[in-house]
Amino acid sequence: MAFAVRVLPQVCFVGRQFPEVWDRLLRYLSYAFICSIISITLFMSGARFEREAAPFRAVALAVTIIIAHRTKSAVAGMLTGMILVLLSSWVR
Amino acid sequence: MKAAIPIWIAFVPSSLAWGIAAHAHGLTLDEVILMSAWVYSGPGQFAVLVPLAEGKSALQVVVAGFLMNLRFLPMSAALAPFFRGVNRTVLFFSSHVISASSFIVPYFQFQKEPAGEPNEPAPARSTAGYGRLAFFLGVGATSFTVWVVGTAAGFTAALGFPPGFEEAMKFILPGYFAGLLVVEMKSLTMVLLCALSLIAAIPGALVNPRWGWLVTAIGTAILVWGWEQWSLHASKSS
Repeated sequence: MAFAVRVLPQVCFVGRQFPEVWDRLLRYLSYAFICSIISITLFMSGARFEREAAPFRAVALAVTIIIAHRTKSAVAGMLTGMILVLLSSWVR
Repeated sequence: MKAAIPIWIAFVPSSLAWGIAAHAHGLTLDEVILMSAWVYSGPGQFAVLVPLAEGKSALQVVVAGFLMNLRFLPMSAALAPFFRGVNRTVLFFSSHVISASSFIVPYFQFQKEPAGEPNEPAPARSTAGYGRLAFFLGVGATSFTVWVVGTAAGFTAALGFPPGFEEAMKFILPGYFAGLLVVEMKSLTMVLLCALSLIAAIPGALVNPRWGWLVTAIGTAILVWGWEQWSLHASKSS
């Protein structure tokens, strides 16, 4: 099943240009999934919301976004956020 | 391949964690390696772990895995136009390494490239398609290898990371994703979409930890897309 959902669009739509409207929907679906993965990975542990760690991780995420936006570098943002998370885990 | 390094680092703790969880749920090493290689999806593999361990029916396991992996459908479809001219058999095999990480890095890279002419000769189209496929595989195949080896390592050696280290490792992948999205954000609609999906995923996951966030992601994307289409129509008719 996992293979099927990956392979079908590749084989059926290779090289095809979707109409702009559908291209946008596909793009938005992909981005929404990515953002949801970010949220779930950072703030959830199974069915539980990580109440204690969430504020620190949210601040680290915000700093990551600001640094990435200013420097135009995803890695610079990620590294800054990672250091913040590491520091906050030692402080807690 | 350089673009994949943050993904490799991020895959280490999550693959180890899945290997350890699979061990705890009674899977054997060959089952762990086979599942990681065949399913290759962290959330999907976690979703089927409990039904498998509890001896639930094969249908339940397949449905759980299928729903979790539905997210690959739009990602794979969004990548497909960039592989123009590539042989379908090659794509059949290479598509297996599509994941959130191996989608987002190549997708943003391809969007930066100049678009080919519609009447471009076939050899030029094919060369560009294979070039993009090579980039995609450089990210996808290496990340896939790290994932499979990591789960096997997690299974065999139940490593315990120091708490702070684990916390930092957990941040790498979402931090990198967020950074990539921010760098590529060009419209207010995308900012709105990302903020809404980021927030809506939490209540979605609280309602149903396996599928709730998938439903909120689909709902948010359709809502924002619908709103954008409606405002476009409204501005055209006024």
